This record gives sequence, structure tokens and C-alpha cells, in this order.
Amino acid sequence: MTGLTAIYNARLIDPATGRDEVGGVLIENGVIVEFGPSVMKTAAADVKIDAKGKALAPGLIDLRVKTGEPGAENKETLQTASDAAAAGGVTTFVVMPDTDPVIDSVALVDFIQRRAEGVAKVKVYPAGGLTLGLDGAKMSEIGLIREAGAAFFTNGDRPVEDAGVLRRAMSYASSFDALVASRPDTPALSKNTVMNAGAFAARLGLRGAPPEAEWIALERDLMLAETTGVRLLADCISTARSLAAVERARKAGVKVSCSVASYSLFFNELDVGDYLTYCKVQPPFRSETDRMALIAGLKRGAIDAVVSAHDPQPTEDKRLPIADAAFGAVGLETLLPCLLSIAIREDIPLAQALKPVTSGPADLLGLPQGRIAKGAPADLVLFDPAAPWACDRDDLVSRSKNSPFDGRKFEGRVLRTWVNGQTVYERG
Amino acid sequence: MADYAFSHRHLLGIEGLNRLDIETLLELGDKYVELNRRRVKHADTLAGRTLVNLFFENSTRTQGSFEIAGRRLGADVITMPIATSSVKKGETLIDTAMTLNAMRPDLLVIRHGSSGAVKLLSRKVDCAVINAGDGTHEHPTQALLDALTIRRRVGEISGMRIAICGDILHSRVARSNVACLNILGAQVRLIAPRTLTPPGAADWGAEVFTDMRKGLAGCDVVMMLRLQQERMDGAYLPSAREFFHFYGLDADKLSHANPNAFIMHPGPMNRGVEIESGIADHKTRSLITEQVEMGVAVRMAVLETLAKNAPEPGVAK
Repeated sequence: MTGLTAIYNARLIDPATGRDEVGGVLIENGVIVEFGPSVMKTAAADVKIDAKGKALAPGLIDLRVKTGEPGAENKETLQTASDAAAAGGVTTFVVMPDTDPVIDSVALVDFIQRRAEGVAKVKVYPAGGLTLGLDGAKMSEIGLIREAGAAFFTNGDRPVEDAGVLRRAMSYASSFDALVASRPDTPALSKNTVMNAGAFAARLGLRGAPPEAEWIALERDLMLAETTGVRLLADCISTARSLAAVERARKAGVKVSCSVASYSLFFNELDVGDYLTYCKVQPPFRSETDRMALIAGLKRGAIDAVVSAHDPQPTEDKRLPIADAAFGAVGLETLLPCLLSIAIREDIPLAQALKPVTSGPADLLGLPQGRIAKGAPADLVLFDPAAPWACDRDDLVSRSKNSPFDGRKFEGRVLRTWVNGQTVYERG
Repeated sequence: MADYAFSHRHLLGIEGLNRLDIETLLELGDKYVELNRRRVKHADTLAGRTLVNLFFENSTRTQGSFEIAGRRLGADVITMPIATSSVKKGETLIDTAMTLNAMRPDLLVIRHGSSGAVKLLSRKVDCAVINAGDGTHEHPTQALLDALTIRRRVGEISGMRIAICGDILHSRVARSNVACLNILGAQVRLIAPRTLTPPGAADWGAEVFTDMRKGLAGCDVVMMLRLQQERMDGAYLPSAREFFHFYGLDADKLSHANPNAFIMHPGPMNRGVEIESGIADHKTRSLITEQVEMGVAVRMAVLETLAKNAPEPGVAK
């Protein structure tokens, strides 16, 4: 792109600074060169886009996406995931290493980067496997993989059970100031479970995962982060007590941040309802008390990242008795509408609600995007913050349609998405 | 200093020695370097005395070095073949010590795989005990020979900046060297990934680094440590190649140290893992073979000094 592009007459929202005002942005060579109320219709630009008063915010950054590439391309490829991301206003996402083969080597990191460069409309960063083959026994080449460009290190959905292994891996990662993400789970307690443990699961006759499975692992991770000095991302916490533990550790000086899956802010365990397999996810939908505590955390800025936890599963793996169905929900296209709906319903200022999908994750990874600032990449999303609509899974761009949001009503819809100043999605 | 009396009965570690103790040994070591470079390398200082080498861990160079040191001083040197001895038949460590003690040796050189084992034996025998390496605790003669090497080749140790790099956690060489170099007034730096940095290393009187290039800045001497093969299997380190990439001494990393910084290694080396061959064999900057030479001299100094301090028979007990 040559020349200047102006997007004017927008409600400009920048979570990094808390800005929420009428204005515009001026883009040159894919970079924001000017922004604010001064960018108007009269701007000297080659291309002018009238935002018609709709909201313009930094494109979303999603720290937890699974595709099926490599190994299970029938579920999703980097290309289809990036198409879904663009449609959802997500301009950067991190792919988890739980692929086949596992992203646990410099070569696999390089493969993801090259593939993404060729086929993805949005920015894709691989996360490196913390242990080789995610076996939870031997650490991967953390230093070399980090140099190759891995965003952080994680064992994905296979928690490292051996505390000695995790301690050494954290300790080693801290030598390179690498970020280690760990989804707290104790398989001994959560194995073969379907949903949150409790009265409702009991009534349905389903095996439930007790919240202790999360608490025990989280407390262990926090202690090890404290003694090793590693930067820890408590990945996809889902309960009130987990959030309190993270906040307490942070106050004590532990370098810990946390993420929450968008569905944990939207659903509670009752939504599993009539054995809905699309609501079978890890961590499971928890109690309403937990959900409200997470929303309160969102309000006070205690949650560093909200993630889609995008996990595509084909119909044949979901249309099964719930105990046999696969875990996972797609989420790239519903991440922003979900947050916007919560912001409206819970009366959270947009700049606050969007922080954990923009500057929050950008700061965790040290990325220049995720903010409206001079010199920042022009990764932007234009959305109608109040437009009511109902999600229909058949309309999803993602190759897999396993969304728990199917049939749910949202307030807020993506209109257009830009990456480096180029339009990558425009609602027809 | 000539009239300073080294008063210790054993040499169990650098810990407990003072600067004069160390300098006394180094000065005597200097004398023996000259002797060892003569055609006839024989002294009769220890004539009639018995030195027993007791190596519970395999060793080629240290055991050989003590044997040569003892013989050059005229002592009767016996190396006990542990592999075929009664230790393998279930005899306890203490019983072995009592048995040996009854043979009335004058000097007992011991290496053992367990930290503290040499000290335990020293309490049970009447002769002088020299620690030739106990577990991951101390290896005092290595630190002394390193100090002698630096003093002779690089210069006054006080104020010198010296980096020790690699597997600090499992290294008795590092522990003895940090203590020795600190006593002699050097600025010591430890460079290692955190998995190989002992907890509390920052309190050893050394600066701790994880970035080798930063750690080497301004260093006059770079001491590399041996990385045991079993550390590279994914528990402490992901792989040998990753270790070499970040912590192996190559020309690029060495260029961050002082120009002409000297290179040391206690041996045996893993070429291509902790050190590049070209660096290890550097004609003017590598002191690695010289360390071996100094080893014999410094051990002669230690043997002589301790033998002198031994009480007359009959006085003991």
C-alpha cells in the first residue's frame, strides 16, 4: 500500500491508554502515523474511510488458538483459522503446540511461521512445547526455540504432572526470561470428566471435574514460579478461588499473569443443559459464582488476557454421547462479540473490557501491536458496539462449527478488520 | 611469610584456609614447578613415608597426579584398587578406613562420590587426609593448581575478574575455586543457566549471570567446567547443541571477554559441548595443559606441608 489512508468519524477506543473519543487514524505503509480527533474527513489522504461513528479499536490478540495444522487439517488449517480470526476482528493469534507433530523444535516453529506467512491473513505466532512431544518428562530446546520466535512455552492441554520436571523447565526458561504458560489441571482429579463437578453434574449423571483439580495445580505452579522466578501465565483459569490465588501471588511479587477463556465469562455449568456436547470444554463451564467473580476481575483489571481457547472439532467427534465427545469449542469469531455483550450487560467501559484482548496480551509478549499509537502496526477492527444479532454456527467461517454460542444472542458485531493497514475482512 | 606455619592436619577443602595458608602452598608449589622441569625430578622430602591413594570414583588424571607427586618426593605410594577391594564386598566406609589406618600410612588421598565422605573418614584415621574430590562439595587441590596457574601465567590474582562457566550446580571444582579465588581477592563471576546454578549462589561472593556474553565482559580468565553427559538428557538441559549455543565457549563469546583473556578447563573436556576445539587448543591463551603441570607441583606442596605437620608416632592417640 502506498500513500495515506484515513479512517475518520470513528469512536476511537484504545485500551492501552483508556482513550474513548471521536476521532480517526491515519495510516501509511501499514503503520499508524497519526490518530485522534484531529484526523477528520478533511485529512489529506488518498483513501478515506468513513467509520460512521462506529467503534475503531486495535485488532484483537488471542493467546490461545488450536488449529489442526499440522496433523489434523480436517479440523482447521492455519488458513481457515486466520480467515475465522479476521472475521472475528482477531489480528494476531498464538497457536498452541498440541499438534501432530508437536511444535517442540526449531524446525516446527519455522514450519508454522512459513506456512502462516504464505496463507494467513492475520499474524500468527507459534507457542513452543515446554517438554519434548509434550511428554512432561524432558524439556524442549527452550533457548533455541525462543530465538526462533516462539511466543511462549506451554504443555498445552497436557499439564506437566511431575513437579520436578516443571520446576527445572521453569528454572531453565527463566534463564532466557521466557514466558511459561500452564493451564492448571490435576489429571488425577479431572480424568474422564465431562463438566464441572457439583449438584447439576450429579443430576445429569455425569462425572464432574472438581475445581480442586484447578486449584491444586495452580497453587503448585504459583509456588514454583515464586521460587524459580519464571514469568508464569496461569492459562485459562476458571474459578473465583483461582483468580484470588493469582492476585494474591502477584501482590507477593510473583511474576504471574492470567488468562480466562471467553466462554468462562459467558456460560455457567447449567448451560451444559440437555447434554450439549458443544458445551464440553476444558476447563469446564463453572458455577455462576465463579463466572461473576471472573467478570468482577475483568472489571478491576485483574485478568491479563481473555482468550478464545479456539479448539475446532469436527461433527463426528462432537455428535456422540457427551462422555465420548471431544473437548473443545471454536471461539475466534465469537471472542469480540462475547466480550462486547458482557461489557454492555455488566456495564464495563469498552476500553476496560477490551484491554485483555489488546494491550494486555501484547504487553505479555512484548508486541508493538494491540494499541493505537504512532508507529504501531495498523492492526485494527471496526465494530458496531451495540448491534444485536444471534450466532448461527452455520455462518461461522471456521472449518469446524463446534460453537457453544450457537443460537446465543450477542450485542456487538465486527464490521471490518485491517492487518498492517490492509483490509482482511469486511462484513458484506 | 617464610616463617608462617601452615597448621592444618588435613586438606579437606578450601573452606577453613586463609590467604596465608593458600599463599604458602602456592609458593612451595612454585619451587616444585622448577624441580619438575629439571631432568632429574627427585627429592627425598618424603623418604620413608607412605602415601595411600584411595579413589572410590574413577579418575585418571588426579590419581596419576598424586601418584607422581608422591613418588617425586620419595614417598612409598600405594594406590588401593577399590574396584576389587572389600568395599565391593559390603565393607562399610568406616571399616575400610580403620583397616587402612592400621597399616599406618602417613598420607591418605581420598576421592569419594558422596559429599562429606572424606571428612567422615578423616575423623577415623591418624594420618593426614587430602580431599581429592568429594561428591559435589570440594576439590581443593584443583583450586590450588588453578590459582598457581593463574598466578604464574596471568599475574596477581587480587583484583582480577574471573568467570567460571557451565555446570556450577554439580561442580566441586567450582565450589573450591570460588572460595579460593575470593580469598585471593579476585572478582568471581558464575555463568550458567538457572537449572545449573546452585540456589543461593549469589551469596557465595560471586556475581551470577545467565547471559554468557554479559558475564564474560571484562574477564581476564575464563574457566570452563565439564558438563556431565547425563545432564544433557532433558532434565537440566534440553540438549548438548543448545548448551553449546548459549554456554559453549567459542570465538564469538570469548570476544566479549578482555582481549587475550586466558582459557582454563579442569578436564576432561567435552569438545564441542562446553568448549570449541580451536579455543581449547589456542596456542597462547589456553592454559589447559599447563593446569595439569601445575597440578603435580601443587600436590607435591600439599603432601610435603601436611607430612611435616604430622605428629610424631606415639604422640598421636
